[in-house]
Amino acid sequence: MRNVAIISVGYNGRFVAKRPDVNIPELIQPAVANAIKKTKLKYSDIGVVVEGNMPTFEGINYPHLWFSDHIGAAGKPVLRISTGGTTGMSVFQGGYYCVASGMFDVAMVIGWEKHDEGDAQVGLIGIVLPEAFSMFQFGPDMGGGGTGMMGGLSSTGGASFQALSYLHRAKGTPDHIDKMAAQARSNAAKNPYAHLQHPNCTAADIAKTPMVSYPLRYGHTCPASCGACVMLLVAEEKVKKFADTDRVAWVKAVATASSDATTGNLVDGQINDPAEQAICEKIAAPKAYKMAGIQNPKKEIQMCEVYDGFAHQELMWPEKLHLVDNSCKAIDEGRLAIDGDMPVNPSGGVVSTNAIGASAMVRVAEASLQIMGMAEGGHQVPRRVKNALAHGWGGLFQFVTITILGDEPVKR
Amino acid sequence: MEKVKKPLKETRQVSDILDMSSLKWRIEADGLELLVQGFKEKKILGRKCHKCGSVYVPGLSFCRKCFITIEDVVEVSKKGKIACYTASLADVRGNPVENITVSVQVNLDGSDSWLMGHLEIDDWKKVYVGMPAEVVLREETNGTLADMVCFRPI
Amino acid sequence: MDRKVAIVGYKQTKYLEQNENPRERMVMNLVQSLLQDMKITRDDIGTFILSCSDFQDGRTISECFMIPWVGAYMKDVSKVDSDSANAVLYAMMRILSGNYETALVVSWAMGGSEFRSPRVMDFELDPIYERQAKLVNEITAAALQAQAYMAKSKLTEEQLAALAVKNLRNGARNPLALRKKADATAKDILSSRPLASPLRELHAYTPADGACAVLLASEEKARELTKNPVWIKGVGFCQDTYYLGERDLVKMDSLQKAAKTAYKMAGITDPAKKIGVSELHTTFVSQEPIFAEALGLIPKNAGPNAVSKGALEIEGKTPINPSGGPQAANPLMVSGLIRIAEACTQLRGEAGEHQVKKTPRLALAHGQIGMAAQHNVVFVLGN
Repeated sequence: MRNVAIISVGYNGRFVAKRPDVNIPELIQPAVANAIKKTKLKYSDIGVVVEGNMPTFEGINYPHLWFSDHIGAAGKPVLRISTGGTTGMSVFQGGYYCVASGMFDVAMVIGWEKHDEGDAQVGLIGIVLPEAFSMFQFGPDMGGGGTGMMGGLSSTGGASFQALSYLHRAKGTPDHIDKMAAQARSNAAKNPYAHLQHPNCTAADIAKTPMVSYPLRYGHTCPASCGACVMLLVAEEKVKKFADTDRVAWVKAVATASSDATTGNLVDGQINDPAEQAICEKIAAPKAYKMAGIQNPKKEIQMCEVYDGFAHQELMWPEKLHLVDNSCKAIDEGRLAIDGDMPVNPSGGVVSTNAIGASAMVRVAEASLQIMGMAEGGHQVPRRVKNALAHGWGGLFQFVTITILGDEPVKR
Repeated sequence: MEKVKKPLKETRQVSDILDMSSLKWRIEADGLELLVQGFKEKKILGRKCHKCGSVYVPGLSFCRKCFITIEDVVEVSKKGKIACYTASLADVRGNPVENITVSVQVNLDGSDSWLMGHLEIDDWKKVYVGMPAEVVLREETNGTLADMVCFRPI
Repeated sequence: MDRKVAIVGYKQTKYLEQNENPRERMVMNLVQSLLQDMKITRDDIGTFILSCSDFQDGRTISECFMIPWVGAYMKDVSKVDSDSANAVLYAMMRILSGNYETALVVSWAMGGSEFRSPRVMDFELDPIYERQAKLVNEITAAALQAQAYMAKSKLTEEQLAALAVKNLRNGARNPLALRKKADATAKDILSSRPLASPLRELHAYTPADGACAVLLASEEKARELTKNPVWIKGVGFCQDTYYLGERDLVKMDSLQKAAKTAYKMAGITDPAKKIGVSELHTTFVSQEPIFAEALGLIPKNAGPNAVSKGALEIEGKTPINPSGGPQAANPLMVSGLIRIAEACTQLRGEAGEHQVKKTPRLALAHGQIGMAAQHNVVFVLGN
C-alpha cells in the first residue's frame, strides 16, 4: 500500500454566516490558492480533483461541472463524492484512494458549503420528506398531541434523543454539555478561521441560553457557515519534491461504516439507539486502529477532532473512539482542554463552525495542522502531536468516517 | 455571542425555487400498514425475522441484519420502557412554549425497535430512562395513526 | 499499480416505465439475486460504493434510507454523486490501494416513474447566468452539438435517423430494454415529435426505472469467485470546461483525454482495430458518431460513411450500443454502470440475441454527465 501525505491545507478565510460578496466559485477559489501557495506544487502537477458538498442545500446538481473552471480544474479528472454530513471526510478519503491506488501522485480535495445561498432547513427536511408524507396517508392526528410520531424527524429532535440517551449512559447532566460547549466556543476564539468565537466563554454563559429541546440548549447547537477547505495529498515518493515543509501529516488509516437511520426512521422501525453508535465503537474505530498499527489509542493519540454538530457529541464521540473512558468526568477534570491530556477539538469544532460539506474535512485539516505544528492563533496543542484522529458523522446519525494521521508514515 | 457585523458589499442576487413538489415517490410502508391494521383490533403488531429473531415495530417486511424478506407477523405488548425522551421547551426562535410536549421513544416488551410518541405526564421532570410506559389507544379505533393517542406512564 | 482488478459479477433489473416495486425493494431484489448468483453473502463484500443523486431521487442524502436495502447495514459504504461509471472507478481505486479485496457498486434511479426530467436537469446549470437565461438545457445543448457535427461531417438527417433505427432495433433484441422497435424505419424517427432541431423524440434517451449492480474483486479474489473474470484493462476520466461556447462540441477534448489515458493504461495504440464492441452513454443518438470519432473508433469525419455502411450495427465492423443504448432504456445516472455491465456481457458472450458476431476480446464502456457530455469516463475491459 502506497503511503500518502497531506502537505498543505487552505481555507478561503474565516468561516462566516453570510458571504453576499462572493458566489460559489469565488468562495472556493481563495482556498485553492492558499493551499497551493504553501507548497512547491504548480497547478499542472495536480493529477485529480475530488470535491463534495450537500447538493440540495444550494440547489445545484453536480456543481463541480460549473465551478471547476474557476479553480483551473477544466481538462483534469474530477470526482464528486457526497455523503451528507460525512461528505468532507468521504471526499478526503476519495482523494486518499486516488493516490494510494497508484493512479495519481497528487490529489486536491475540496469540501465546501455556501449556506447563505440556499435553505439548509428545507434541505434537511428533504431527507425524510417522502417518509413523512407517507405517514400522512395513514392518518396521524394533526391537532397536536396525537401520536407525535413526526416529532423526531427534525435534526434537533433526533439529536435531543441522542443527547439524553448519552447522558443516561455516561451518568452525566446537561451541565456537562454546557461545559463542553463553553470549551468549544473559547477554543474557537483562538482559531482565526472559526465562525462563533467567544473568548473565555463559561458554562454559565451557555446555561443562560434557552433550553430548546431537553437536554439541548440553543448554545449547544451549531451555526450555519459559509466556507471552503482544500487539502493537497501527495504520494510518499513525491513528498520531498512538492512539500515546502519538513513536517507533513501522514495518512495512517482511513475507515468508514454505515448503519440504518438511527433516528427518524419511523416508517421502518428504528432499531438502533442513536447514542450507541456501534458502527464507530465496534466497526470503524477498531479497523482504523488496526490499519494505523495503534494498540493503545488513549496513549498513542495526542489529540482528536470530532464532528460535533451538537455539543453533547463532543463528549460522546471520544468515548466511542476509545480515546476517553468517560467524557463527563474528563471535562470536569479539564482533560479535554487544549492543554489537557486528550485535547478534543482545539479548533472549536463543528459546534462553532459548520459549513456542512467542509466540516468533516476541516476535522482532518485541523488534525493535520496540529501534526505540522501550524495551528494558528493559539489553538496549537502544546505537547508534540505524533498521532491525531479526525472523525465525521452524517446521515440520520448513521454514517461514520475516521481518519488517523501521524508525523511518520506507517511501514507497510 | 460575538457576531460578524462588518459591512459587506452586496453583489447582484438571482433567485430560483428548488421545486421538487411534483415528484412521485413510491414507498412500501407495509410496516405502518400493519401497525394501523393492528390498531383496529387494539393490538400492536410487528414483524419477526425468522432467521435472527429480531422483532420490528413498525414492522416492514425486511430484516436489515439478515438482508432477507420477512413475513411472520407477531403481536407485541402495549407496555414497555422509555428508551429516551425529550421535552420541547422553546420554539425555533428560542421563545419559551406554553404547552410543553414530551416526546418519547419506547421499547415495547417483545420488540427490538423503538416506537415514538408523546408522553402524557403532568411534569416532564419526572420522566427518566427506563420508566415503564404503555400505549394508549382511543376508545373506537378505525385503523389510522390517530388511533394511538399517546404513551402513559404505568 | 501492482494489483489488477476484475469485474466478477453484474446484474441489471429490467428497465421499465414504472418498476412494480419502490426503489428500496427493487434494489434489494437486485443485490440479493447477484449475491445468490455469486454464491456469497453480504459479509463477503469489502466495501459498497453507491451512485445515486439527491436531485434524481428528490431527496436530500438520497442513500440514507437505502443503506440496509443494498445490504450495507453495519458495513463500509461511500457514495459517488456522478455518473455511476465514476463509482466503478472509485471502487477500483479502493481495491488497488490494497485496503479491500471486493467492492460492490450499486446504482439506481426512478427515471421513469418519479423523476421529471426537463425541470430537474436544469439544476445542473449554473444558477447565475444559464439558469436565468433559460436558453441552454440538456436538449438544446445536445442539439447544438448535433448541428455542429452535421455541418462539419455532412451527416444528413436521414443518416441520423438510421442511427436511431439501429438502436431501437438493437433494443428489440435486448430483453431488458424499455423502448423496442424491431420494425423501426427512418420514417418513424423523422415523424416523431420534434424537440430542438435536428433532434426528435426518438433520437433521445428513454427515461426508465432501473438499477444495476456490479461486483469488483482483486486478482486473487476474482479467480476464487469466477471462472471468467472481466479485467479492467484501462480507465480514464476527464472534465471539460463548463460553458458550451468555450469548448469544441465536436472535438470532445475531455473524452479524447479520458480515452488517451485509458488506452495508455491498457497498452492500446490502435483502438479501431483492438476494441471489439463499445457501449456508450449517448443521451441523444447524435452523440454516437461524435463519441466514436473522439474515441478513435472510427476516423475523423467518418460518421456518415460508417452509418451508410452499417458499421455501427451489431453485425458491423465497429458495433456500438448493441444493447440499444440509452435510446432503448436510460435510468439516468445508472447508465454508465449499465454500459459497463453490457460490455461485460458481450465479452463473456452472454448477450444472447444482441451478442456481437465475433465475441470480442476488448470492449469499451463509457459514462458521462453534464451538458453535451462535459464530464467523461472511459473503461477498457477485456478477458
